[in-house]
Amino acid sequence: MGAVAIRGLSKRYEGSAELAVKDVTLTVGDGEFMVLLGPSGCGKSSVLRMVAGLEPITSGTVAIDGRIMNDVPAKDRDIAMVFQSYALYPHMDVFTNLAFGLRRRGVPRDEIARRVESVAAKLGLSPYLKRKPHALSGGQRQRVALGRAIVRDPKVFLFDEPLSNLDAALRVSTRNELIRQQSEIGVTAIYVTHDQVEAMTMGHRICIMDKGEVIQVGAPLDVYREPANTFVAKFLGNPPMNLMQAAVVQAGTCPGLRLGAVQLPSASWPAERLRGLGGKALIGIRPEDLYEASPRPGDERVIAIPKATVLAVEPLGSETLIALSLEGVAEDIVMRGGRDMRLRAGQSATIMLDTAALHLFDPATALKIPRNGS
Amino acid sequence: MASPASLWLRKLRRSPLLLLILLYTAVSGGPFLWVALMSLRTTPEILASPYALPARLHLEKFADAWTRSNYGTYFWNSTVVVVTAVALLTLIGAMAAHCLARYRFRGARLVRFVILSGLILPPQLLILSLFQILLELRLYNSLTGLILVYVAGHLAMTVYILEGFFAQIPQDLFDAARLDGYSDLEIFWRIALPIGAPALFTTVTLNLIILWNEFLYAVVLLTEDDKRTLPLGIMHFMGSHQLDIGMLATGLMIAILPIILLYALFSETMIRGMTAGAVR
Repeated sequence: MGAVAIRGLSKRYEGSAELAVKDVTLTVGDGEFMVLLGPSGCGKSSVLRMVAGLEPITSGTVAIDGRIMNDVPAKDRDIAMVFQSYALYPHMDVFTNLAFGLRRRGVPRDEIARRVESVAAKLGLSPYLKRKPHALSGGQRQRVALGRAIVRDPKVFLFDEPLSNLDAALRVSTRNELIRQQSEIGVTAIYVTHDQVEAMTMGHRICIMDKGEVIQVGAPLDVYREPANTFVAKFLGNPPMNLMQAAVVQAGTCPGLRLGAVQLPSASWPAERLRGLGGKALIGIRPEDLYEASPRPGDERVIAIPKATVLAVEPLGSETLIALSLEGVAEDIVMRGGRDMRLRAGQSATIMLDTAALHLFDPATALKIPRNGS
Repeated sequence: MASPASLWLRKLRRSPLLLLILLYTAVSGGPFLWVALMSLRTTPEILASPYALPARLHLEKFADAWTRSNYGTYFWNSTVVVVTAVALLTLIGAMAAHCLARYRFRGARLVRFVILSGLILPPQLLILSLFQILLELRLYNSLTGLILVYVAGHLAMTVYILEGFFAQIPQDLFDAARLDGYSDLEIFWRIALPIGAPALFTTVTLNLIILWNEFLYAVVLLTEDDKRTLPLGIMHFMGSHQLDIGMLATGLMIAILPIILLYALFSETMIRGMTAGAVR
């Protein structure tokens, strides 16, 4: 059991006029894996440290299982945390590192030994119990840090960028290991990262933060498909969503959208919202929703944009990224293509755009303009 | 592979440095060696030829020096004073350094300034007032008084060295221990102290050496013979009209032998602790 409820949480650090965390409200269900995602300095680690009780709360509340934790010291919150630096006690061997928290809680010796050995076996650490942390590899240290959290059997797991010190290959395998462990144990977890791949693959839900505020909370694919604003649109996805200035023009009775010289269908957005934009809109399209040839021939939602100039071609092996310049559009864009892309830099091409995948944003507020009926 | 010629050139280029080091060793080690040789010769032998090598090793002089004066008592007094003072210094210094390095509290800068200002005050400046204070506290002529003076006098340097080291221990370790359920004091004992062991070792060795040889405070604050520490005991061999230089050298050797031994065994570790902050 361990639902976490954060209400109106704010943090101001001593000597700073700015709030590092602004009025964050977030609920993490029992057994849920919540990822806090954002660029560095967005306040996600501050939120985590306030939940852990390592940082005093300026205003707002943190509750675990309905009990307000603001004045409860960290050691009594029944929380375990995995740090980016692993924070293994360098003067203790692996066994003692794992047992340190249990000893303080007065768990009997044989029970400690049983629990430590079972966790060590589960994480493949059994041969290393007598080693000191400096004699372990990065991946092994990471597993000891995870084991130290698991062995305590806490209500809530907190992870502060636990994979960022690992090399790329190890990161993928450890990521899968973490997902497996968390779903096996079924304990509530809050995971802080700036890596969108970790967020997309690990979280049941992700909470995207920027400048101390929560921007959007939702299931990974929902957030990817329906970004709440341009920040989320650019932050999720690699390469990020293409954003382009478009003009809102009067076409007959209802307003239309024009990108460069191309007229885009605008009927799926409320006409009064389009009129209120003052003639300008931001349209967004993900690189995978642009095509060299129509994916659905005859589908009228796929329209052609002629006279696109290929700026650069980046073959990545499994796919090809093509940087393009569209006629009459200030921003360069990126298209994701298959591995046998035939376009060459300097060439002129006609690009197919799936209008069903278009996103529309208000340039003044950066907020997404929802389609009719959504 | 370097040719023999270039190897020679390299050696030649290094020779001024080598010469300088040799000179320095001779200047600093020479007097020590001289005293060491004199400690094995009798005074008439020394007066006849000050710089000669011992004709015969008078090892019996060491037993003589120990028994002829009150050396057993001096040695014991020195041990009591220095060991107690160093133990207190280490404990208090480590706690103060840990606090200054780890906690943000109102007045932290002032506390640090007050403690570290002890570094800039020369001991001669304080001796009159210390004398008066100890008299009033009835601690004059007592080992307890000297211990307290030593602790107060060397706290600044101890805190200075330890704080630099403690400040480098990652905050995450302390946070992890807090989440593991440990109180601030337990974290100090179980995390900060064991991890800070190399630095503690440095201050312990350094304080042992300095206090073992301390003369100024001891000579002013202890006058009774059975309270004296080793550096004062050596004065026994300096009468007002005559100087038993042979015995004086032997007494000196007895006094510094423990320190030489300590340094020989632990100098590597000590230097590592002192430079821990410089290179990472």
